[in-house]
Amino acid sequence: MAVRFPSLDFFKALQKRTIDDKARFEKLGYCDTSFGVRIGDDLYAISFEVYECTGVRKATDTSDLDFVLEAPVELWREMVASILENKGADAAHSLNTLSHVGDRMKLVSHDAEGNDKFYRFMASLQEFFDQAHHLEVTL
Amino acid sequence: MSYIAPKDYAADPEIVAKILRTVSGQLELDWMKRVGEPAAFRPSEPTRGLTLDDINQGGYGPDKLPEVIRHNFSMAPRGALLPPGLPSLGYRVNRKSDVWADVAPSLFEEAKSRRWAPARDVPWSALDPTPHGDQHELALRQLATSLISIGLVSCDVAASWEWRMNQEFHEIKYLLCAQMFDAARIAEAFRKRALYGGGSLGVDSRPLGELLKSIFLSDTYPEASAAMNLLLFSWVQALGRHWAATASNRADVYLGTQLAQDATRFVTYGVDHVRSHLHSRPLQAEALADHLDMCENALVGALGAAEMIEPLVLVSGGFEPAAAFYARTADEYFRRCDAAGLGDRRDGSALTSFLGMLEGDSR
Repeated sequence: MAVRFPSLDFFKALQKRTIDDKARFEKLGYCDTSFGVRIGDDLYAISFEVYECTGVRKATDTSDLDFVLEAPVELWREMVASILENKGADAAHSLNTLSHVGDRMKLVSHDAEGNDKFYRFMASLQEFFDQAHHLEVTL
Repeated sequence: MSYIAPKDYAADPEIVAKILRTVSGQLELDWMKRVGEPAAFRPSEPTRGLTLDDINQGGYGPDKLPEVIRHNFSMAPRGALLPPGLPSLGYRVNRKSDVWADVAPSLFEEAKSRRWAPARDVPWSALDPTPHGDQHELALRQLATSLISIGLVSCDVAASWEWRMNQEFHEIKYLLCAQMFDAARIAEAFRKRALYGGGSLGVDSRPLGELLKSIFLSDTYPEASAAMNLLLFSWVQALGRHWAATASNRADVYLGTQLAQDATRFVTYGVDHVRSHLHSRPLQAEALADHLDMCENALVGALGAAEMIEPLVLVSGGFEPAAAFYARTADEYFRRCDAAGLGDRRDGSALTSFLGMLEGDSR
């Protein structure tokens, strides 16, 4: 069944992928963070514990989140389109590249350690988004 | 001269008699009557397994450790019963606030859990051939050469403090072993990257050597930790991110991402360690600040050296993005210093003057 991007269903489908493709996430190691994805005006809160995504929800408050990745809807769509086309983001559309110099995607946090959670678990978080290529996504 | 044990055990009549009694089946079993505090620790989260934090309770945990260790200079593990006459191993780092960070046990677990093996995990064939040009490739090999030096000296820094640290701080010693392994892997992975296919190493950088020497010869462990974990690895982490962000192939994306992840564990320990140290001993802030002043000055030398800035300009696609990369990395480093309790180090830092120079040049 197709899921629309952006939507809570999209993130719920990605959450399920962390169980369906458990071995891949276990290979990447522990990932313990709660972070936000702000797509335009919408904020989604995503929690990871040990190897898997343990929760996704729509949110308004960022106080309990380690960091938030913020970008306009168009940029997120561009990233997901790249994931679908290449079976994973290409170098130009990875979370790292988009949030690096140039700041097309903003990495926002309350403190330096929140920022560092993104860097510590970057491969797991990228894999979480890359799992979208297993889904039927309507952009 | 090597250490010589206090007696000739093989010729000691009392010991020989005891061994003979044991051989004949007369077991004393005194050790069985004197065991440490009983425990029944289990994994708090089954999927994570049994972690150090799970077993760090009661007398086995670090909470009841005194600030200064005076009761045990031997090899005895924390929580074991200490018979009289244990030899001193001569530990010199015996103050808990000089080493401790609450995050250290979980970082040690994380380091093992997020392990990777350059030999097989890097998709090396993605470098056959690289889509980027020859100059870009030479620039990457030059940066890889610097990363090899950084990895090797970081091993030495962790190793040089690990054996001086009291066994009661075993979590920190474990973490330093993990740092040695992580740092060795940086050296290994980027050596393989530089030499893969028709590769070669670049030129060693004297200013980088001066920076690494400033860190290696730190007078105290807190100074070494602030200089290596907080300062140096803020830049290593950023280099990893930059390597991945400017990559033209999957191998370099993977290498850069792993470098950034591994480096962030050093940074995370550094922030928590310095904060914990200054919380207990606020007067040490001046000593740390002085040492960071020296190391930041040395860092400016390394960042401004042709062997560093020129390859960065080439892989970044121009001077401005390279300068922006420096500015962003410095900003993140200063934010970490603030979070660690060192205050706003921007004013008066050699890094700030250096960035001002770059900004002037890029206008």
